[in-house]
Amino acid sequence: MLFFSYFKDLVGREVTVELKNDLAIRGTLHSVDQYLNIKLENTRVVDQDKYPHMLSVRNCFIRGSVVRYVQLPPDGVDVELLHDATRREARGG
Amino acid sequence: MVLGLRQFSQRTGDGAGQPILDTDNGEELMHVQPSVSIVLGNRPPDSPGTLYITSKQVIWLSDVDKTKGYAVDFLSLSLHAVSRDPEAYTSPCIYTQIETEAVDEDEDEEDSESGEVLDLSKVTEMRLVPSDASLLDTLFEIFCECAELNPEPIEDESEGHNWIFSADQLENEASVGEDAGWHFFQDPTNSIGHSNGDHDLANTVLQTLIWFSAQLKFVLASFTPRTTFPFGFHFHIPCSFKSMINALRMQRRWNMKVTAAISEP
Repeated sequence: MLFFSYFKDLVGREVTVELKNDLAIRGTLHSVDQYLNIKLENTRVVDQDKYPHMLSVRNCFIRGSVVRYVQLPPDGVDVELLHDATRREARGG
Repeated sequence: MVLGLRQFSQRTGDGAGQPILDTDNGEELMHVQPSVSIVLGNRPPDSPGTLYITSKQVIWLSDVDKTKGYAVDFLSLSLHAVSRDPEAYTSPCIYTQIETEAVDEDEDEEDSESGEVLDLSKVTEMRLVPSDASLLDTLFEIFCECAELNPEPIEDESEGHNWIFSADQLENEASVGEDAGWHFFQDPTNSIGHSNGDHDLANTVLQTLIWFSAQLKFVLASFTPRTTFPFGFHFHIPCSFKSMINALRMQRRWNMKVTAAISEP
């Protein structure tokens, strides 16, 4: 649940979601659910030469299980907070 | 479950009506959208047809050719999106990407483009074009809702690494392990530390412990009077269990720390 709440805090920010099929989509994070399904708005494909037909889709739902990475805005990460939270989660409390 | 797109032709009413759903397993029809054409890969559109969105899959059935239809499980839909850019596709549509069994990058769409033989299992993109473009947002939301109804099936994580997290579990394991231990005791070729397939670390440790306690019993039996033997036996076994549980707990914590360290940026 840690990353679910973490991503919820990022709603409204620009993120890049990289899929397991190498497609990378940049867009505004609209919402995320408990399965880490991600909804983006105002999306564009990062590698436009490779995926020209996906130039722009307005909103996009990405299945959590196909996400490889989520690239975050640099100031969207409170490293200390995340450290503490992961440690707490690891202790199971 | 098979990933990817597949043919679908099971219709009610002599093959002319609605798709036959797997109602026994709780599949429900969520939405019906007439006059939708379908575009697979880079092929020309098939039209017209009716789109059926169920709680498990997306089905498109041709209105013209009653034997023609396609279906894809929500589990195979990697993403779906509303596409309105005429440069991306000439008509506004729901764009979907389909996860297939084996992605062979050299020949996914070039082949299906020719249109002669269409291998459905290789189709990675599907567009659904409703005649009324104002429906796109509604359809998108329905797709989202249904996708959320289909999370990944939970894999049996206990397979392969049977970590023991409580003393109760350990005692259950012990009864299983005891046989293995005695078996081992009788068969010295099966050396300690060589787990044979389904025996994991915990079982090996347990075997070792049982082996030692068996040795101990032997030692105790030979060096102590018969009357004190049961006391010794009972005294040593709980001790071993306790330290073993602690060892496993420490290992588990350590593993989690490592995982946490890895997830830190």
